[in-house]
Amino acid sequence: MKKLLLWIVVLMLVATFSLVGCKTAPEAVEAEEVAEEVEEEAAVVEETPVVEEEKAKIVIWGDTVDGDTALTGWEEDIIPQFLEQNKNIEIEYTQQPNVHETTRTALLGGAGPDIVISYGPSFASELAKGGYLYPLDDFVKEYGWDNVFAPWSLTSYIVEGSLYALPDEIETLVLYYNKTLFDEKGWKPPTTIDELLVLCKDIAEEGIIPFAHCNAEWRPANEWFVGEFLNHAGGTQVVYEALIGQGSWTDPSLVYSMEILNEIVQKGWFTGGLDRYYTTTFDEQLAMFGDGKAAMNIEGTWSICDYPNYFGEEAGNSNDWDWVPMPSVTGEAIFDVGIGSVWGINKNTEYPEATAKFIDYFYSSEVQGRLLSGVMGKAPAPVELEEKDLKGVDPRYAEILLSLSKAFEANNYGYTTWTFLGPKSNLYLVEEIEKVWAGDITVEQYLEGMQEIFSEELEAGEGLPIPVR
Amino acid sequence: MWKKGEIILAFYINSKKIRPEFKRMVLRKKIIPWLFLLPILLLHLFVTIGPSISSIYYSLTDWSGLGTAKFIGIGNFQQLWFNDKSFISAFSHNSIWLFYCIITFVMALLVASLLAPLKKGGIAIRTVLFIPFVLSSVVTASIWRNLLNPDRGIGAQLAKIGIYGLDKAFLGITKTSLFTVFFIDNWHWWVFIMVLLLTAMQNIPKELYEAARVDGVNRWQEFRYVTLPGIRPTLFFLILMTGIWTFQTFDYIWILTYGGPAGSSEVLGTLVLKNAFIRLEAGYAAAIGLTMSLFSGILVSIFVYLKKKGLEI
Repeated sequence: MKKLLLWIVVLMLVATFSLVGCKTAPEAVEAEEVAEEVEEEAAVVEETPVVEEEKAKIVIWGDTVDGDTALTGWEEDIIPQFLEQNKNIEIEYTQQPNVHETTRTALLGGAGPDIVISYGPSFASELAKGGYLYPLDDFVKEYGWDNVFAPWSLTSYIVEGSLYALPDEIETLVLYYNKTLFDEKGWKPPTTIDELLVLCKDIAEEGIIPFAHCNAEWRPANEWFVGEFLNHAGGTQVVYEALIGQGSWTDPSLVYSMEILNEIVQKGWFTGGLDRYYTTTFDEQLAMFGDGKAAMNIEGTWSICDYPNYFGEEAGNSNDWDWVPMPSVTGEAIFDVGIGSVWGINKNTEYPEATAKFIDYFYSSEVQGRLLSGVMGKAPAPVELEEKDLKGVDPRYAEILLSLSKAFEANNYGYTTWTFLGPKSNLYLVEEIEKVWAGDITVEQYLEGMQEIFSEELEAGEGLPIPVR
Repeated sequence: MWKKGEIILAFYINSKKIRPEFKRMVLRKKIIPWLFLLPILLLHLFVTIGPSISSIYYSLTDWSGLGTAKFIGIGNFQQLWFNDKSFISAFSHNSIWLFYCIITFVMALLVASLLAPLKKGGIAIRTVLFIPFVLSSVVTASIWRNLLNPDRGIGAQLAKIGIYGLDKAFLGITKTSLFTVFFIDNWHWWVFIMVLLLTAMQNIPKELYEAARVDGVNRWQEFRYVTLPGIRPTLFFLILMTGIWTFQTFDYIWILTYGGPAGSSEVLGTLVLKNAFIRLEAGYAAAIGLTMSLFSGILVSIFVYLKKKGLEI
């Protein structure tokens, strides 16, 4: 009985496949006819051979976090404009989730994109040391990149005497303030740390939160505030000396700077209290700032693109924002320099020259200006930008970029921690400051720990080259 | 009388006749099953066994995760077990988490025992209760981040009607952050334990309950002397798995607190990730991972030992 059933099933299957074959027979016939036509065409083509140059193909991976605006910008502006001038090159741009980890995994397997985009000099340095990046020295000479980039910006990407990566997305932090609120209350934006502390007290007495800060969605946000106070309350020269190993992170001025920051936090001037600082989202933070519930925000230039959603009619208020340099001890305008991402060339690329050509195009002031002003609202690389390149950019943002450039020339710059510290030191700085705020350790213990870890990294050759001041 | 050589020859000749059947039997029973298993075994080898073995190697090296690894012997383990305060802290948090899981089992046992005798509506109730389990951790975390908002969440609404004390940012307070994350994780997965216990309860013969009622036991005695022994193997298995899963806790911590504030919710899973991908100390992270496996191995060994001693688990 079982055998009979088995045979019935087999016959049914055979019948089914036969019917499928019948049904597709006309399509098969059509396919045959098409195949014959293709063969005839191929024969014609073979009779008249045409020499075709193989196109160089460049693969670039962006991050899905960049969003559709970036994808559209790449597909409709950056790539087509380059390909018009370079018909022998093909570019494939895709967005990958968590692109840095995806790229790292691919590189370990000997694959990966031709242009390697990573999130910081320490990671790029590890890639270079591991032999995953193509040395760029020849291209620097060919394209004159040492004249294109700001002199300080290439130092961190030199590994064992060779340049392996180029910086992208210059960043700095400033003190944003709710201008409408300040005008209403008659407050003046501060220039010194002392003025800042007095102002915070006045603001708090009005029942308004001095700073709209949070780290719920980005825990490393701690490094913004630690870095700003180290440089502006501690002193950029002291920070520089600590970075090159000639000074110490336990310098009394740096201890003072962290005590000031701790005082501000303990008074609840960050978002109304530490518990709120740790649980407020970016959306809530900016809404608080835009609505005037909080008066100020120490943050990077990356946040400017969000402000139109929280200030003005579209946000449901009549408020406006403005900025001043983060106050310093002396009142001098200091800007801490940061780099948001880094570009390198994959060591296993088949087309290093074509890739370098694209990089040269991408880093031109004309393209950087276009990216900044219209195409993607993307922060520019640290290249020379003229006023014409900043056309269409929010004048406040343009002023920050120009001020940053002037500050560097005048040596009035500081160091963002994610750009100039090694990975272990930076993680320590981000995480352990919370233990200071929780009262688990003192400021001195925090900085002693920082000195210990930093020294270990420096001795192990894991520190980053620092531009000579 | 057969001589030795004749016996061997006869056996060979005869075995040639029976050999095909014997061969078919061996093929069917011994070899073909392994052939069916081979693809998944190969996949397991490449995806799990291979990386596990390489992890053992890398735990003995100073390796950033890129480039070559430098062999340093047990240096990573010495640093980890004797000098790293963050490891001790993270391990203690995992242990506390395991202790919190008592709440999960109490809830699961209670609800399962209430649902077990239910004939009408039991499936509907189970379905509703199971909804949190099918949500992803990101969605669940987002929901609870809003529900726990001190200004707009549950606590804030209760405060409006005079019930105070819950309108706090629990995730942002060092003393409550770990338990709050556990609470959210527990909301997500307690029903999984409950469903398994419920299935085990429903497999207990009804005659045992009838006999117990005839003896005049109350509901608690029924649970203690009939239900618990009946579900003991499932219960102990779930306790063992919960113990192992506790050391792998990661996702809700990472999404909600990143191990903070001030390291108050740091666990071994987040420590591994930070060491591997942020501090670029993949060798050290491998040592932490191996230590986590060791703890799980100890739990399994205890389980096996107790079973060998005759405990019905």
